Amino acid sequence: MKAGRLIATARRGEDLLAATALVAMGILPIAEGLLRSLLGIGIPGAGPFVQHLTLWVAFLGAAVAAREDRLLALATAQLLPESWKPATGFFAGTVSAAFPALLARAGLEMVLIERQAGAEIAVGVPVWVGQAVMPLALIGIALRLAWKASSWWSGRALALGTSLVGFWLGAHAEVLDGAAAWPWIALLVVATAVGGPIFVALGGAAALLFMVDGIPAAAVPVATYELSTSPIMPAIPLFTLTGFLLAEGGASQRLLQVFRTLFGWMHGGTAVVCAVVCAFFTTFTGGSGVTILALGMLLFEALKRDGYADRFSLGLLTGSGSLGLLFPPALPLILYGIVAQQPIEHLFIGGLVPGMLLVALIAAWGMRAGWRGETSRQRFEPTAAGAAIWKAKWELALPVVVVAALVTGYSTPVEAAALSVVWALVAQVAIYRDIGPGRELLQVVKRCAVLIGGVLIILGMAKGLTSWMVDAQIPMRALEAVQSVIQSKLVFLLCLNLFLLVVGCLMDIFSAIVVVVPLIVPLGAAYGIDPIHLGILFIANLELGYLTPPVGLNLFLAAYRFDRPLLEIWRASVPVLVILALGVLLITYVPWLTLGLLDLVGR
Amino acid sequence: SQAASPVRVKMATMAPDGSAWHKALEQMGSEWRRATDGVVELRIYPGGTAGDEAAVVRKMRIGQLDAAGITIVGLAEVDAAFDAFGIPMLFRSYEELRAVLDEVEPYFEQKLSEKGFVLLNWANGGWAHLFSDEPIRTIDELKRAKLYVSAGDDDLVEWWKDNGFKPRALAPTDILTGLETGMIDAMVTTPLVAMSMQWFKRVPHMHHLPLGPLVGANVMTKRTWESIEPAARQRLLAAAEESEKEIFDKIAADDQEAVELMKQRGLKVVESADEGEWRRQLERYAAEMRGELVPAEAYDRVTRARDQVRRASDGSDS
Ligand code: NA
Ligand code: NA
Repeated sequence: MKAGRLIATARRGEDLLAATALVAMGILPIAEGLLRSLLGIGIPGAGPFVQHLTLWVAFLGAAVAAREDRLLALATAQLLPESWKPATGFFAGTVSAAFPALLARAGLEMVLIERQAGAEIAVGVPVWVGQAVMPLALIGIALRLAWKASSWWSGRALALGTSLVGFWLGAHAEVLDGAAAWPWIALLVVATAVGGPIFVALGGAAALLFMVDGIPAAAVPVATYELSTSPIMPAIPLFTLTGFLLAEGGASQRLLQVFRTLFGWMHGGTAVVCAVVCAFFTTFTGGSGVTILALGMLLFEALKRDGYADRFSLGLLTGSGSLGLLFPPALPLILYGIVAQQPIEHLFIGGLVPGMLLVALIAAWGMRAGWRGETSRQRFEPTAAGAAIWKAKWELALPVVVVAALVTGYSTPVEAAALSVVWALVAQVAIYRDIGPGRELLQVVKRCAVLIGGVLIILGMAKGLTSWMVDAQIPMRALEAVQSVIQSKLVFLLCLNLFLLVVGCLMDIFSAIVVVVPLIVPLGAAYGIDPIHLGILFIANLELGYLTPPVGLNLFLAAYRFDRPLLEIWRASVPVLVILALGVLLITYVPWLTLGLLDLVGR
Repeated sequence: SQAASPVRVKMATMAPDGSAWHKALEQMGSEWRRATDGVVELRIYPGGTAGDEAAVVRKMRIGQLDAAGITIVGLAEVDAAFDAFGIPMLFRSYEELRAVLDEVEPYFEQKLSEKGFVLLNWANGGWAHLFSDEPIRTIDELKRAKLYVSAGDDDLVEWWKDNGFKPRALAPTDILTGLETGMIDAMVTTPLVAMSMQWFKRVPHMHHLPLGPLVGANVMTKRTWESIEPAARQRLLAAAEESEKEIFDKIAADDQEAVELMKQRGLKVVESADEGEWRRQLERYAAEMRGELVPAEAYDRVTRARDQVRRASDGSDS
């Protein structure tokens, strides 16, 4: 009884810490700016502290996600027969528990070396204290995976045993020096296919590949730390929190109302509204699946009420869940900017027209369905539209405020992201009062931290794999190999489309950007493709991956949200996939769509 | 005697792929291979592909990388003494810099050695100048400018702020948009970099007095260094020394050429309203860095060596 209460308190503390770290990331940059302009005193180290808080949110969020069984995994495990699940779950859990322990030991190595070096974040806080969250959280994750591997004590003991072996291996790279990595990696791939967390496969593979090359596994946490604390990285969790606050507040209802009064009079108006509302939300939530989960049912009911066919509605909503990834400030654009070292604002501007093209294509398909079907329309009423817009003004103003802050040079991407968080907090908690200020807010922020942690830990571990590829000079060799086979730019682009389609089928968009972009960027430069155009076509191409099996996130989320068989969802989304593929081809072969607007504004 | 086992030296550099610095390292690498009968193989990761300077230092510490060509940014991560080379208006000429480096080399070698590194040679990044959108002729004008400072060096940012300047800490990838949106309108960089990154088009006024040379060094971890036969080490150092001479001359010439090329494309060279006053004020700020941004011992060593060199050369001039 006492132990139970102790565990509950510890869990609440963990939740509170993760949520506080996330909110502090939003408040620190704004407080620093206000204090400096009003009182002339700043907060020393505000920038570096926010960068390190990203690392804390990533690992605390992932630790809570492990506790709640919400670490992102491939959905392929759901296809297994029910009777296999205890066995496959035990296998996945046992293998998965070993690698976070290995990475924890490697992380500890990094922390100890950093401690000896004695660098500071700012105002006397050492860097190693910032890094310490990695080994601590990874130990927690390993223990939780071992605990959940089986419901029997003997199974748990075995999983704990593999964790201990992993922990020992994390500081003994020499054992594997010169060994073959592939049997281990094959084991990881199978474990991930039957339900092991994605981050384990990426980080585990990276550690193994380094170790067989005779390099300490600490190379992986070092790469994770490098990416997680890079200066623009805080923008990703901050914009995601903004999207989450909007989705959890009443923004979806208000925005649906706005776009209905604006477009409801058209043939297929409701379908158009769905595409636009989904794009608006995904822009902020960054394709993490929040759109389908938060808005799916609301929009589905609106479509059915207005007489749209079941299959059409399912396809539209499943496909629209990833629309908006090309609009500022979508997460993939920011991530591409960080990995390819391109200015984020140029990607924001470059993505506008291609993003609108994709929304327009889906909207046109919706209008065609509306024209042919017996769907109902409503009259356009200026006063109703005005009232709806007025009611939702705080949410509608948000993208305008963010873009204006960026293009006028008033704020950096991170400051703009922090501003959007404060804006959304004030709107949802103080103005609309959709989210209560106390426990309810804490719960919302904590759920968001869990989601972000799940994504950021994947990014961090993917960076480990990238670091190994650079170390083994793979981008350079790929460049030489491709250049010896392909001469023409058009053939290269076609091969790129096909390659990215396959990547999209196998990898989630986040790790694909971190791992594949370093391979593609030198190739793009060699074939004379503008780096901003390359980024937009890369993301648009990977957007298709949300709708392709086996990893297609939207397919699984839609199946879950609408409670339909996966096959039915997949069949319903085929038309959307075809339409989006058409858009991707246009974006790829008409660079002007991306670069025209940039030229126009003189960038 | 037994054949020595081969040593692969993995070396990262911030220098862009194909740049003069990268070529100099490649040249040194082939010299190393020749001088050691193929025992030492240098593998270079150019253009920051192995990470920024702090990341590269971290990767050397854990044993992922063996060597690096880094500027004082990364060197100061190893030991803060290297911040002494960031003191503004410290050197008047390359001759002065070379003479001071010869003088203080044992001190900095000792500092590196305490942290597990070996100095291979010094490198020269060129002279750093102030580039700005509007001409800046006085320190008061500089105080009004929105000055770019690299995100990550918080001490420096705070120092600028405390002295009444308006630094804007940005990620290096944000410099271009920062210039385009007007978030920053002044920066300190070398002519070669200002030209190759095309920054000078947005900040077309270059102050004629350089703030200082951009000092760098090529360093190796002791761990890797000691895995090489002692006899071979001497040959490696000799090749590194040769490379150092070549790169100093090469960059000096390239920097000058960059200024001429940029002038043809609209660069304007700005002079101080009062050069003596400009110097005096900056030297006053430099003095305040002692014990704050630069460890007092390193500050004293470098400034004393500089004074000594300057007295000797002033003496021989007259
Ligand atoms: Na997919
Ligand atoms: Na840093």
